[in-house]
Amino acid sequence: MMSVIRIDTTDKHIINLASIVSGARSILYKKVDLLAYDCDGFTIHKHLPKAVVFPKNTAEVSQIVKYCSENKLPFLARGAGTGLSGGAIPINGEVIISMVRMKKLISVDLENRQAVVEPGFVNLKLTNSISDKGYYYAPDPSSQYCCTIGGNVAENAGGAHCLKYGVTTNHILGLEVVLPNGEIIEIGKNGVLDEPGYDLLGLLTGSEGTLGIVTKITVRILKNPEGKQTVLAYFDRVEDGSQAVSDIISAGIVPAALEMMDKTAIEAVEAAAFPVGHPKDIEAVLLIEVDGIAAGIDEQINQIVKVCKKRNVREVRAAKDEEERGRWWANRKTGFGAMGAISPDYLVQDGVIPRSKLPEVLRKIAQISGESGLRIANIFHAGDGNLHPLVLFDARKPGEIEKALEAGSQCLKACADVGGTITGEHGVGIEKREEMRFVFKEEEILAQTNIREVFNPDNLLNAGKLFPTPGRCVEIKKEMKA
Amino acid sequence: MNVKEKQDLQCYSTLGNYLWRDPPQESKWADCVHCGMCLESCPTYEQTGEEQHSPRGRVYLIKAVAEGKLDVDEHFASPVFSCLDCRACTTACPVDIDVGGLIEEARGQIRQAIPLKGWKGAVNKFFLHGVFPHHNRLRSLGGLLRFYQKSGMQKVVRKTKLINIMPQHLTEMESIMPEVKGSIRKKFTSEIKAKSETKHKVAMLTGCVMDVFFSDINESTINVLTRNGNDVSIPKNQTCCGALHVHAGDREMGRKLAKQNIEAFENEEKVIVNAAGCGCMMKEYSELFRDEPEWKERAEQFEEKVVDVSKYLHDTGYEKPKAKMNMRITYHDACHLAHGQGVRKEPREILLDIPGVEMVQMPNADRCCGSAGIYNITNPEMADAVLKSKMENVPDDVEMISMGNPGCMMQMALGVQKYGRNQKIVHTVQLLDWAYQKEEGDLNDVSY
Ligand SMILES: Cc1cc2nc3c(=O)[nH]c(=O)nc-3n(C[C@H](O)[C@H](O)[C@H](O)COP(=O)(O)OP(=O)(O)OC[C@H]3O[C@@H](n4cnc5c(N)ncnc54)[C@H](O)[C@@H]3O)c2cc1C
Ligand code: SF4
Ligand code: SF4
Repeated sequence: MMSVIRIDTTDKHIINLASIVSGARSILYKKVDLLAYDCDGFTIHKHLPKAVVFPKNTAEVSQIVKYCSENKLPFLARGAGTGLSGGAIPINGEVIISMVRMKKLISVDLENRQAVVEPGFVNLKLTNSISDKGYYYAPDPSSQYCCTIGGNVAENAGGAHCLKYGVTTNHILGLEVVLPNGEIIEIGKNGVLDEPGYDLLGLLTGSEGTLGIVTKITVRILKNPEGKQTVLAYFDRVEDGSQAVSDIISAGIVPAALEMMDKTAIEAVEAAAFPVGHPKDIEAVLLIEVDGIAAGIDEQINQIVKVCKKRNVREVRAAKDEEERGRWWANRKTGFGAMGAISPDYLVQDGVIPRSKLPEVLRKIAQISGESGLRIANIFHAGDGNLHPLVLFDARKPGEIEKALEAGSQCLKACADVGGTITGEHGVGIEKREEMRFVFKEEEILAQTNIREVFNPDNLLNAGKLFPTPGRCVEIKKEMKA
Repeated sequence: MNVKEKQDLQCYSTLGNYLWRDPPQESKWADCVHCGMCLESCPTYEQTGEEQHSPRGRVYLIKAVAEGKLDVDEHFASPVFSCLDCRACTTACPVDIDVGGLIEEARGQIRQAIPLKGWKGAVNKFFLHGVFPHHNRLRSLGGLLRFYQKSGMQKVVRKTKLINIMPQHLTEMESIMPEVKGSIRKKFTSEIKAKSETKHKVAMLTGCVMDVFFSDINESTINVLTRNGNDVSIPKNQTCCGALHVHAGDREMGRKLAKQNIEAFENEEKVIVNAAGCGCMMKEYSELFRDEPEWKERAEQFEEKVVDVSKYLHDTGYEKPKAKMNMRITYHDACHLAHGQGVRKEPREILLDIPGVEMVQMPNADRCCGSAGIYNITNPEMADAVLKSKMENVPDDVEMISMGNPGCMMQMALGVQKYGRNQKIVHTVQLLDWAYQKEEGDLNDVSY
């Protein structure tokens, strides 16, 4: 099954692409092979790609891109396909350039605390490869067991521990990128931060695969904290839970992570594969982790416990050992997938709100849930105000997809209305294109598509993502030109 | 197919493009939310990076056939048969999707839609129908092999380079074929009494391959059970567990064997199994009888009785051996023990209770070795790639690799030979047995 594929098609593009990426099974073009690529972690839109190619190095990526661009074939990059906003879905029948076979850890430089990886290298593997030497890679999206660092760069992924250490963009020191015309460029050479000139690294990180294809990444690695401790706190009222979050931060503690789940989310994680015995009748659970110099940790834990008690916590306790800590985190980190245990389908939203507005927004979300007749669970990176409402629905029931999309959109509106925004870490993709209008005026969107045009003039690379329907923007542009 | 069979078929419901009895069940994939958390656990995705060879992709394609988007044809067969049925994905999945179960059901459909033809079909039929279910025939085959080994034929074959005519992977297998040993079922025809006071009565599955090629492990199993207060019976009518058949998509034969075993062990309280693959299969017999309610119920009762020997010893208590063994070992989790039955800590604890045993942790210990029933024969290239990554994880400085499944033992033995390593491959109960024997003075030096 690993043998070379015989190409039995007359499609000249397939034949030509196959000749670029020679080697074992490096192009897929039959329906049964393509079907698994018709969506990613966002399953509401589906479309078959024209083909999937598996380059092994930057030169091959560049040649594929050049071929596509010369022949006006739409194309996009795909990592592990865990994206939640549809960024890797080939809605225009793209040629998918799968980065997963470029998965080497190229080098580790402990002295300068950096590592160089290929884009298909899986997030968690980086920490696993350096942990014995006392180092780790900080951005830890819940999907870190499987998602690629290339995909993390594209989505500017965050994670539970990004509260203290920052999201992906704070850990990227350099990129090698293949531009949509096939040209290979390098930005942020030698891992020197703050190069003079425009911050292209910042622009590329989070561009959702619309400006170029990342083929090599230099990341910052950190020394393991001397100690860490995790606390679990159960609240009977959401208000108390969110007030406790604010109090912890105002007390000057910067936890490494500060997570919250509401009642419906608790029901799901307890029904799924990694239950830890959370009580079913509480309204909120907080998971709080502090790390740093061993000597200061107990003091911080005491302070956190005190704050929680002041806010009427029902029960608060620290993990008794590493095993228990691990179980708490596995329970939390598999939270999205756990929705499968209580609902056939779910749609995860990704709003950001000022922490103080949480009770208000949760009330609004409960109202949206009531009106739509769909249950909504909430998982919350409480420390940085990144809220994930999970709309539960059943795609087999006619009309439910539309209802779920509408409810999700209203949740984002609720976030935008209190001064927040529509994505914290999952990106806009296909899913939130229209919702961009909640936070940007038409001209602001246009300014951004103008930037895209500099990199991606023919809009062949991952078209139709990130910004609302181009039609309207183009019209405006014409008007402005006129 | 005769008229009666046709009529039988028609009374079963079909699903989308699954047209035969016993199709993959919607309830098994309904919970899959396409999150991809299973991808990295999958050895075939690790090797190929292709999503149709990943758990998420396989579930998606199986569902697509039910929705009428794909046909049951050779293209569909490829990702379904490339699965190792190792169950690592179910461990990784946040909602426990039973990918292995879906795969087995899908294989059942494929084998009915496109029966194996040519020599592959013949070989399949010969072994699956003609040999494994028949203890005596497997023994005669074993006897032939023993003759082959003992008579000097083996030497001749190797010397004359006859071996070069066999396909590469069969040649490799030949060189690690364990010696055929005396059958337990022949040796013990009545119940074997506990060595001291009887605390429990148990029955034992001898297994088909196990009893021919690994009867010393069966003997060790009996020794450790009787040593710990168990009367051990070996019901005569027991047969092959059917795992190989079900993995190959032959669910009809699987059902037949399952029924025979359910009957054979009807009056027993516990069924002790020392082969992870058999134990896992027998704990899932009820899956085969979804449309036969009466047998389903009997199968469910049977499943309750089945237990892996290491778990049984751990749960009912065992005497800690006193003799010192002095060895460095590592432990490999058989997929059908760790992922299939959730048995991980029990064998490790037993090993650690043997004085002088030093355990070195194997990274990714619960990663498949590529044996997967007869996968190493049907998909040699993939099996070998999987074995290679397994061997890279075996620590350098250990003398033995312990595990709880005969299929893994053969595959790992192949790995040791192929990659120039020097570890001995042992079953967990063997080590315990040797320690007891040493304690009793029956074993001066471990004769492994
Ligand atoms: C269960 C679950 C939990 C999640 N938790 C989190 C979380 O906590 N935090 C978080 O931030 N995200 C989370 N996500 C979302 C997702 O895992 C991240 O967005 C991740 O970064 C995607 O990586 P990927 O390799 O799967 O990329 P893909 O899904 O394959 O691609 C995502 C986007 O990146 C582009 N892309 C991929 N590789 C490249 C490349 N080499 N060059 C240019 N563009 C590229 C694609 O075109 C696409 O637009 C979660 C997802 C799931 C399913
Ligand atoms: S099988 Fe489980 S882990 Fe894999 S995609 Fe489905 S729900 Fe996610
Ligand atoms: S059973 Fe094993 S080989 Fe099959 S999909 Fe799951 S992890 Fe992959």
